[in-house]
Amino acid sequence: MAAPGPGEYFNVGSHVSCLTCLGQRLQGEVVAFDYQSKMLTLKCASSSGKPNLYDVILINLAYVSEVDIINDRTETPPPLASLNVSKLANRARSEKEDKLSQAYAISAGVSVEGQQLFQTIHKTIKDCKWQEKNIIVMDDVVISPPYQVENCKGKEGSALSHVRKIVEKHFRDVESQKSMQRSQAQQTQKDSTLSS
Amino acid sequence: MSMKAGGNRSKPGGGSAAGAPAPGAGGSGGGRQNLGRGRHSGKGPAAVIFNGVYANMRMVHVLTSVVGTKCELKVKDGAVYEGVFKTYGPECDLVLDAAHCKSPEPSIGPRKEDIVESIIFKASDVVVVTFKDVDLSFAKKVSSDTDNFTDAAVSSRINGEHKEKDLEPWDGGETHNSDSLESLDTDVSNGWDPNDMFKYNEEKYGVMSTYDSSLSTYTVPLERDNSEEFLKREARASQLAEEIEASATYKARVALENDERSEEEKYTAVVRGEREPHTLGSRENKYIPPGQRNREAMSWGPGRQNSPRLAPGSAGPPTPRPGPHDYSPNSGADQRVVNGGSSHWPSPCPPPSSRPPSRYQSGPSSLPPRAATPTRPPSRPPSRPSRPPSHSSHPSYPSSSSSFSHHGPTSPASTLPKRMSSEGPPRMSPKSQRTPRAHRVPPCRTTGIPPGVDLISHNAPGEVPVTTPSRSSSSGGTWSSVVSGAHRPRSPRQNSMGGASPSSSSLPPPQTGSAPVETVVTPTSASSPTAACPAPNMVASSTGDAKECRVQETRQTSPTANKENIKPLESTPSIPRPVCKGPPSMAPDHRKQIDNLKKFSVDFRLQSSSNPDPAFDQMMTKPPRDPADKPKDLPLDKSSSVAREGNEEGVVVIAAGTAAGAPAPSSANTNTSKPGSPAALSPSPSAPDLKRSGLDVASQGVQTTATFSGAKHEEKEEKKEAVQDQVRKSTLNPNANEFKPRFNTQPKPANTPTPPRPQGQPSPSIVVQQPPAVYSQTVCFPQMYPLTPVSPGVQKSIIWKSPAMYQVQMPHMTVSQSKPYRP
Repeated sequence: MAAPGPGEYFNVGSHVSCLTCLGQRLQGEVVAFDYQSKMLTLKCASSSGKPNLYDVILINLAYVSEVDIINDRTETPPPLASLNVSKLANRARSEKEDKLSQAYAISAGVSVEGQQLFQTIHKTIKDCKWQEKNIIVMDDVVISPPYQVENCKGKEGSALSHVRKIVEKHFRDVESQKSMQRSQAQQTQKDSTLSS
Repeated sequence: MSMKAGGNRSKPGGGSAAGAPAPGAGGSGGGRQNLGRGRHSGKGPAAVIFNGVYANMRMVHVLTSVVGTKCELKVKDGAVYEGVFKTYGPECDLVLDAAHCKSPEPSIGPRKEDIVESIIFKASDVVVVTFKDVDLSFAKKVSSDTDNFTDAAVSSRINGEHKEKDLEPWDGGETHNSDSLESLDTDVSNGWDPNDMFKYNEEKYGVMSTYDSSLSTYTVPLERDNSEEFLKREARASQLAEEIEASATYKARVALENDERSEEEKYTAVVRGEREPHTLGSRENKYIPPGQRNREAMSWGPGRQNSPRLAPGSAGPPTPRPGPHDYSPNSGADQRVVNGGSSHWPSPCPPPSSRPPSRYQSGPSSLPPRAATPTRPPSRPPSRPSRPPSHSSHPSYPSSSSSFSHHGPTSPASTLPKRMSSEGPPRMSPKSQRTPRAHRVPPCRTTGIPPGVDLISHNAPGEVPVTTPSRSSSSGGTWSSVVSGAHRPRSPRQNSMGGASPSSSSLPPPQTGSAPVETVVTPTSASSPTAACPAPNMVASSTGDAKECRVQETRQTSPTANKENIKPLESTPSIPRPVCKGPPSMAPDHRKQIDNLKKFSVDFRLQSSSNPDPAFDQMMTKPPRDPADKPKDLPLDKSSSVAREGNEEGVVVIAAGTAAGAPAPSSANTNTSKPGSPAALSPSPSAPDLKRSGLDVASQGVQTTATFSGAKHEEKEEKKEAVQDQVRKSTLNPNANEFKPRFNTQPKPANTPTPPRPQGQPSPSIVVQQPPAVYSQTVCFPQMYPLTPVSPGVQKSIIWKSPAMYQVQMPHMTVSQSKPYRP
């Protein structure tokens, strides 16, 4: 474990690359470093590709074998902004609740398709939750198994139609994905038969 | 070292940023030992020493920014936990909420059994934590969140020494390059012409206007078909339009709307030069304080015959009856009447001095147009006094009282306006001063009736302005009609005619009856006093009467009384008496009403007080029954039965309840509350029955009665008086414990608070609970509540411990709770 010596600190803003003892390579821009706990925080571009988002990686340098400074910076880093603590606390709470509600749904024995549909809807409409085996979207639309378009019930309106569209699209995507998999499988099969 | 971050930890606070980690970390290492030193630094609250990672600004900032995001934490043995990042400790221990161990194969999601509410990971166990798709500015304080512009907010942004800013005066610059800044002020074009606007938009922006000037989308055009029917209707329509547009109401409204005068002109500017020049009337419009009114009236013109005679401070010598408006200023050129009475009969109204002249127009002058707001002095100065004999020729009062001949100079002399008996007005003046003008008018108007009468009676003596009778009658008529409720709002037509004809037509018989009578009476008397000598005496006597009457009238003043001119009426000795009759004749009507109301209230009271009795009797019968019942049910039954009986008195119920319920407590009191019933009640409840329930019953009784009486309040409000009577009679001790408000002490079925259980089977091992409250209490941010080692009671978080190698890891971990980490 190559812990940085007393003299080795990381300048905020410099680019660094690390190799963990578990064989994972991580790199990014230094955000913070705490010598005493040997914690190094890097940030890099978000894996999802969205421009405003970042991936933040907290690395325990005690478990890192290599540290390479790719790009050192010495200029003063930008000042830190004030943080809205309540907002953060709210976010934490709501995320936790979301996760738990999903877990309950899963425990309730919802089918895989239902779970997948839930995930899909959740990507678009955050306000969806499980209720037994039904998906409740925006407290207005209820989707019951088998979670098809016609299973969407609720107050007639823009919300309902929107949800229906999402469901429809979801299943189309699933279908297309399946068909692609199938075709791929067939392709490989063909290949194998051909080759054999 | 600038570890002293002051209040705001997020701020870098000077040099702590660059290269801070090391010194910060180094410092923080020693910081713990230096805590004592830090505390003794003597800087006070500004110097807060943070431990461990908390001292590292940047670290704190970034770790705080990612709170609440999903993260994956890899521990040193390779397992990955996915959860919501909750908080971190000074030693950089990390807390994950709703964490589950991620299984290698792709699955839908964790089941709830797999989810651990909270796990604490020691820094030394953590290899990598990945926060994906984080918005680092999520929690950035935005101006919309806070009030950035308050002093507090602005100062909070200053990190460091707060010194006074040097203020400099703003300099807008001498010249403006663009004229646009100034041109708006001077621009009078009222904007663009619509067609220009449309053209411009079309050319510049390509925006086509859909404006249709015929407004066809809003209205259907009228088709001319030139048929007879159409032409007829058209003619009728234009006739109506003409009528409307010619009406004074419409004109007044439109005038208001189109009034182009500035606000200042309208309301506050001094009116100059609009008055007709009046010779003697220089003081006619001036406001004279009450204390000076009589004096002034008195002091006017020794030449005036009447002034000396107007003994009791009669301020208004014969004032033209315009009455209320009239006052001392006396312009009458040919009149030697002090009160500017010119050719008007002195008005029995309160001395003109009591009223600001400007308010009302004198009798002779035509009434101000109705449209003029009463609160504004009419633009036309009430030059009543200044209009000499024109009165006689006054056209605006086509009064029917042709009987009034010219009002000669002598008449005013002989006739002192009742107003002279000035007490009335001065007495009324405070009131009149207090109230808007309209108020003043009524008193005058009421006296106007007598004046009217006087006028009528005085047709002989003087040239009673034609308007007078009409005025008086009108005023009288209006008054009595008001009293009798037949008052009509005056139409503009009325105004022009001094409201004479319409109101006079509405004059109720009594009034007319009285008038002629008085007419009969007065001429005789009027003819007699030719000299002023008797007048004063009469006046004096009439003063008293007038006073009286006026006082009465004041009471009866009706706000609807118009302020139109009431002709100054000459008051003769005889006048006061009829005058007094006049108002009293009206007063009775009004008084009758008052009496009726009083009677009604009395009756009402009586009835209500009698009401409880029957109910009470019923109550009496009830209690004997009650003891037989179970004591516990007793109050309830009784109250319910009482309710059925319709007994509204809470007091009675209480009496019953308490009497039944509590033999001991305050029974004596309750017994006395109702003469008969407690006596009946007390013996009835058998002591043994009640004793054991005793307090219980009492409490229940009170309880139910409380609720019961509460319910009853809505029902019978009108019986409140009876209740109050009874309450008054009652000797219940209101401070007794029984009467203290009791909240529901009934044992409810015990509600064991069960936390909301999620559906499905609860996990046998770890209960995954969802008490968000717990989490909100444990504030996760270092600067506020440094994380203390977990106390299991607070939240069910476990400390991750590295499982023994080569063992099944998951189950152990879930089961072991609050076990310390054993590496």
